[in-house]
Amino acid sequence: MTDVPFGAPAPARDPLARFALRLALTLAALAGLLGLALWLTPYAPTQADFLDRLSPPSAAHWFGTDQLGRDIGTRLMYGMVWSLGLSLVIATVGLIVGTIVGLSAARSGRLGDFALMRTTDSFFAFPELIAAVAFAGVFGPSTTNLVIALSIVSWMKFARLARSLAHGLDARDFVIQARLNGVSAMLILWRHILPNVIPSLLVLWTNTWSRTILSVSSLSFLGFGVQPPTAEWGAMLLDGKPYMQTAPHIMIFPGLAVLLSVLAINLVGDRLRDLVAAQDTA
Amino acid sequence: MSPTALRLIGLVVVLLGISLITFTLNHVAPGDKATIIAHARFPEVMTFSPDLLQDIRAEFNLDAPFAVQYLHWMSGILRGDFGTSYTSGVPVWDIFLGSLGETLSLTLSALTLGLGGAFVLAGLAVRNPGTWVDTVAVFVASIGAAMPNYWLALLLILGVSVHLGWLPAYGEGTLAHMVLPALTLALWVMASQTRLLRSFLLDAYAQPFIETLRLRGISEREIFFAHVVPHARAPALTMIGLDLAALLEGTVIVELTFARSGLGSLLAGSVLSRDLPMMMFLVMFFAATYVIINTTIELLQAMSDPRTRRIAGRP
Repeated sequence: MTDVPFGAPAPARDPLARFALRLALTLAALAGLLGLALWLTPYAPTQADFLDRLSPPSAAHWFGTDQLGRDIGTRLMYGMVWSLGLSLVIATVGLIVGTIVGLSAARSGRLGDFALMRTTDSFFAFPELIAAVAFAGVFGPSTTNLVIALSIVSWMKFARLARSLAHGLDARDFVIQARLNGVSAMLILWRHILPNVIPSLLVLWTNTWSRTILSVSSLSFLGFGVQPPTAEWGAMLLDGKPYMQTAPHIMIFPGLAVLLSVLAINLVGDRLRDLVAAQDTA
Repeated sequence: MSPTALRLIGLVVVLLGISLITFTLNHVAPGDKATIIAHARFPEVMTFSPDLLQDIRAEFNLDAPFAVQYLHWMSGILRGDFGTSYTSGVPVWDIFLGSLGETLSLTLSALTLGLGGAFVLAGLAVRNPGTWVDTVAVFVASIGAAMPNYWLALLLILGVSVHLGWLPAYGEGTLAHMVLPALTLALWVMASQTRLLRSFLLDAYAQPFIETLRLRGISEREIFFAHVVPHARAPALTMIGLDLAALLEGTVIVELTFARSGLGSLLAGSVLSRDLPMMMFLVMFFAATYVIINTTIELLQAMSDPRTRRIAGRP
């Protein structure tokens, strides 16, 4: 057993910290650009212009206009707040709830563990899109109900991962050492387990975020989520679907926005996963 | 207790959990259920007499406490009675059977096409590392994982049906109507499975016994088909099971986007008309299918894995 003093912080994660800093700066820059663009654009997301309907991309409307003459570019930018923002909220709820459930399961006795994990399995069985459609059916389709429904089915993977990681850490030297030194279970959880499960949970979090973007926009496209005229990307596609033969740009751009955002988040997630994996083997 | 028995007990507990979650969702549904049923039964009538509503409450046991209603409903399910549709008055099971075929044929053809494509692409990629095939495989996998499948459906309709006029866009009936929906789903299956299969095949190639086989002069072809593929099969099967939920979701989206009948449009229809029994049954069906298939895969894996096989006479 290597000698680790009980108060020692969890193993340092320098490359991870650098990556997190770069990512935070990039996101801040992107958010700044978005804010600047929203400030500069001469259009409002629901501002209709019936003389300029379904026009293809031009200098005045970079992404064209939709069936009511609204500027698609402006709507796409506002849609970012909905499509990306709502999914981020849902994924974060999943991260927090799942971590609490998973770590509680790892810390309870066999019966508590069985109860918590079989509850997790039961929720896990519901494909999230189908659960959200049913929820919309019972409580009515709206943005709030969409967020509630997807949050209810967002935490199970986090719970499973947190539990199995915590079990793995329990056998590690620095945790055993801390326990032998009489550190309380809560403090071990807080100081030694939590900091070491968070990187892997964050990998899953980016993953969940991108999958939730697809769910949110799919549900809105099917009419069970965010409702038009709100400029969510899936809702924009639903709105523009009848006109896609005459004006394909109406459906090309919102779909492309979903594709590119999910792709970008997946790439960040892959990079994060590689960093975490390198950290764990080091 | 053997691990198999424990797994089966876990399955029963989870199935009960699923039924409880579904029933709770139905129970907390806002609005008077008797009125919903009355509206569904007599769509042209606007107001209902209290007597009629009282009769409906008695018929559906709506005044009983939660636990009683749940047990009543569960005992029905155990006897094979899954409830009656509010809107049509027909048992939901019969409606379900009428739509199952459409969905099953779509899902299975997409799964076959997609897995076949993924196997070919991933196989070519790992046997030619660093070449353009490998790049294409990674590219397809990344784009496919990020592609919203309703959008892919719309693009295919726009390209293949509207511009080229090769295939019908919406509806069903002929094999030609099946091509685009199946292709949409299959492309998604292919993308997600190529990524996984590629990494499983690479893992298999990294095993020391592969080097031994090479040193013994076994051909690359035989190594791939007789040793690498079987080695990658077990994890691949597990992942396909776990991806089943996404496949079911994809089926719902594709059915609705292409205006096909099937379980997806049945679900959407029951949601829009607030046909709670139909909806509950479908949600439970999807959830139960998912756990049952995954438990079966897990048990089959355990049985086929020599490391978990028990030697007779030993515990």
